[in-house]
Amino acid sequence: MLKVIGGFVAGIAVVAVLVYNYAGSLMFREIESPFGVEETVARIQQNVQNAGNGWSLSGLRNAAKPIEADGGNVLPVLMIEACSTRYSGPILKDDSLRFLSNLMPCKISVYKKNDGKTYIGLMNAALIGSLFGSKVGGIMEHVAADQAKFIVFDPSKPAPAMIKGTPGAASSGSGAGAAGGC
Amino acid sequence: MNTSNRIFLYKRYERFWHWSQALLVISMLVTGFEVHGTYHLFGFEKAVNLHTIFAWTLLTLWAFTIFWQFTTGEWRQYIPTLKKVDAMVRYYTFGIFRDAPNPFHKTAEKKHNPLQRLAYLALLSMLSPVIWGSGLFYLFYSHWKSWGVDAYLSLEAVALVHTAGAFMMLVFFIAHVYLTTTGHTPLAHIKTMITGWEEAD
Amino acid sequence: MLLRFSSLLSAAAAYVLLAAAPAYATAAAKPEAMIAPQAQAVGKPVSASTADHSKFKELQKNFTSGPQVTEACLVCHTEAAKQVQHTKHWTWESTDPKTGQVRGKKNIINNYCTSPVSNEKDCMACHAGYGWKDDKFDFKVEKNVDCLICHDTTGTYRKLPGYAGHPVLKRVEFPHGSGRFVEPADLKKVAQSIGMPSRSNCGSCHFFGAGGNGAKHGDLDSSLQHPGKYLDVHMDEKGLNFTCVTCHATSSHQVSGSRYNVAAVVEGPAHIRGKKDESPASCQSCHSDKPHHDKMGMLNQHTDKLACQTCHIPQYARNEIGTEASWDWSLATTMGPDGKPMVRKDSAGRRAFDSKKGTWVWDSYVIPEYRWYNGVSTYKVIGDKIDPSKTVQINEVGGGPNDPDSRIWPLKVHRGKQPYDKVNNYLTVQHTAGEDHTALWHNYDWQKAIGAGMKAAKLPYSGEYGFVDTEMTWPITHMVAPKHDALSCAQCHSKNGRLQGIEGVYLPSRDNNKWLDMFGWTLVLLSLIGVLVHGSLRIYTSKKKG
Repeated sequence: MLKVIGGFVAGIAVVAVLVYNYAGSLMFREIESPFGVEETVARIQQNVQNAGNGWSLSGLRNAAKPIEADGGNVLPVLMIEACSTRYSGPILKDDSLRFLSNLMPCKISVYKKNDGKTYIGLMNAALIGSLFGSKVGGIMEHVAADQAKFIVFDPSKPAPAMIKGTPGAASSGSGAGAAGGC
Repeated sequence: MNTSNRIFLYKRYERFWHWSQALLVISMLVTGFEVHGTYHLFGFEKAVNLHTIFAWTLLTLWAFTIFWQFTTGEWRQYIPTLKKVDAMVRYYTFGIFRDAPNPFHKTAEKKHNPLQRLAYLALLSMLSPVIWGSGLFYLFYSHWKSWGVDAYLSLEAVALVHTAGAFMMLVFFIAHVYLTTTGHTPLAHIKTMITGWEEAD
Repeated sequence: MLLRFSSLLSAAAAYVLLAAAPAYATAAAKPEAMIAPQAQAVGKPVSASTADHSKFKELQKNFTSGPQVTEACLVCHTEAAKQVQHTKHWTWESTDPKTGQVRGKKNIINNYCTSPVSNEKDCMACHAGYGWKDDKFDFKVEKNVDCLICHDTTGTYRKLPGYAGHPVLKRVEFPHGSGRFVEPADLKKVAQSIGMPSRSNCGSCHFFGAGGNGAKHGDLDSSLQHPGKYLDVHMDEKGLNFTCVTCHATSSHQVSGSRYNVAAVVEGPAHIRGKKDESPASCQSCHSDKPHHDKMGMLNQHTDKLACQTCHIPQYARNEIGTEASWDWSLATTMGPDGKPMVRKDSAGRRAFDSKKGTWVWDSYVIPEYRWYNGVSTYKVIGDKIDPSKTVQINEVGGGPNDPDSRIWPLKVHRGKQPYDKVNNYLTVQHTAGEDHTALWHNYDWQKAIGAGMKAAKLPYSGEYGFVDTEMTWPITHMVAPKHDALSCAQCHSKNGRLQGIEGVYLPSRDNNKWLDMFGWTLVLLSLIGVLVHGSLRIYTSKKKG
């Protein structure tokens, strides 16, 4: 009997360790881009704009800039912020789910690493959504499906221009997100 | 416990020396093989810094120990002998499996069996010059030119010798740890090295 | 204001040769911002200079040409023109002291704009002189030395392509058809406001090489006009605020430091004032060859193999301006879908294609390539034979691991594809700029352009051209990062690190001896097996007994 319980506990411990080790990498995904940083950003932005389902760009953030302003260097990191009112609306309407606004807007980061290559970092929206019940899980599944389309590139098409800043917002502030579509 | 068959083998300094040296050697193996590129643990930079600090610590420990060996006369423990070497070899290859008695009896005057004496002397006179010599040349790479040795040495050769030494040290470590279990109980030798008291069988 | 990717120059604006390039950081767009820092420092109360040029009667004239100003300068500075005439800024020629090879812009064919020969009227916008429009230019005429391009502090003195080095003296639309206008300089005011060269003086040419901001060097672009600490620890506008000539110390107009003769190795202590200094533009002249604090003494052990730049310039072109990674001329003369010349930009707004010039690939925050380098580059000069079956090295960097005068250097490698004579096997000189019927950018005819270029270069042309892959290497030495941004140990001391391709040096953690490792680990494994077998036997035999 003791052996059975011991084995059970040991099994749980092993699973816990595995989850602890891999949970992080399950929640996020990193893929190599065939293009440079700017072109990757521009092509994702174009895909977001063509995605339908209420998607629009709500901003482009350069996380490396504040570090430069502080006098230090970091390789470029650009964060594309995209939002779909179709998916954000139901979540934001529900008082018990409003805290999930922390995950908004959806972010896709594009960055360079020391190997000189460009990478795309994505959140695993479906998995994270599934942690918050069926309603959120259902919505996030759609988000994940759309997100997968954002990173499908057609190299035969010419590189579009990168869209800088927050579209439709002259200055940042509380109105900026609204102007950006969310 | 019958106190009459307990003998006091290792004095306080000796035990301090042994265990601190053991810790340093293990740490140097761990950091050294990281510098060699075998695995990632601390990161290269930290591994190099730790390895260097441990090296100087161990050298300092040795300076005190050499002083101690000569002032106490304990250095005589390392005078090699071939007497009973064959008996020891036979014991470890056959006798130990047949419960034969260990042909060597430790006394405060003779702490090490003849095989041990040979092994420690080899360690001291062959392995340690290889490791320390190559290690110090490695460490003082930028002085090669001013010492006038840059024409005769290459970092690669020095690194290879040092790595070879590390492998030998690792082999010694494995054998040494295993042989501690060959006392009358598997932990007897380790207990002795901690308390200083040997329970004679 | 999330992003400042607004810094990208249009292909046309790339021609703007004086500091007021319109499209980089907004602060720099105003001409006032171009005034040299020194000029501001030399404020009203007490002048740092012993001479106030606005009081000189030689300069109280309404000058109508550049040479007139120079004549006025030479009244007092009698030897200045002769000095300048001994510099590369004037001759566009440089002789390697070690190999004796005569190089310089005049003699080599690079893989950007290729050669100024036959294109002098445009290219000589960056010549420190007036009137070099063809091979008949007289290099002895002193009044043709341009003093103002280096000494103007107003930022209003500009030289544009098409004028053979003469400044803009009447309002002109530039680039043609852009709707933007360049105002003429008031030569009297400029002559009265001269000073030491500022970053914008040097930058007016050196930031815009290859016809675009940052295009050529990568470690030099207009962001160095007002750099932050992250970009250049020495030039940091709020910190040390070095100008170019702080390091490129100049005597008798001879500017120190050149990529043609690189001081790849400088040994010994930091140089002291007053001592004759062979290479004042090197890092070591201030920092010595043991620059790191004793606490980090191990870093000093690296100076016998590495150039300082290798660790301290972890990337170059560290801004959105970027630099050209490649230039493919073979697609030039390709027209747009409507049959007319077209221009296309990349996602960051940088030139990507131009029917006149072909295609470019740009990159920012570029990881350098690393090679052994002894400071000697052997160039392909006009007429040198090439092997078109291989990538042609425009310049071959000398040195190697066993050469005590070599260090591992960071380099920009610029890849090109450019025309060559298929029969004579040499790179061709082409007539690109101009309004005549043979100019490539006017008539889009390679055959005529090469014919005219080769004639000007006095080289036979077989009439058959092809395109060959070329590589040109540029030692990286500017944009020195703050110390905490230097490469960390493991970026080289690891497998697949920065120096993976560097041979001839044992790099702990990257390198090992395969045989020693195999032998060593086998021995370790055997001893483990040995003790395990021995131990098991002991347990087995003791159990059997009871």
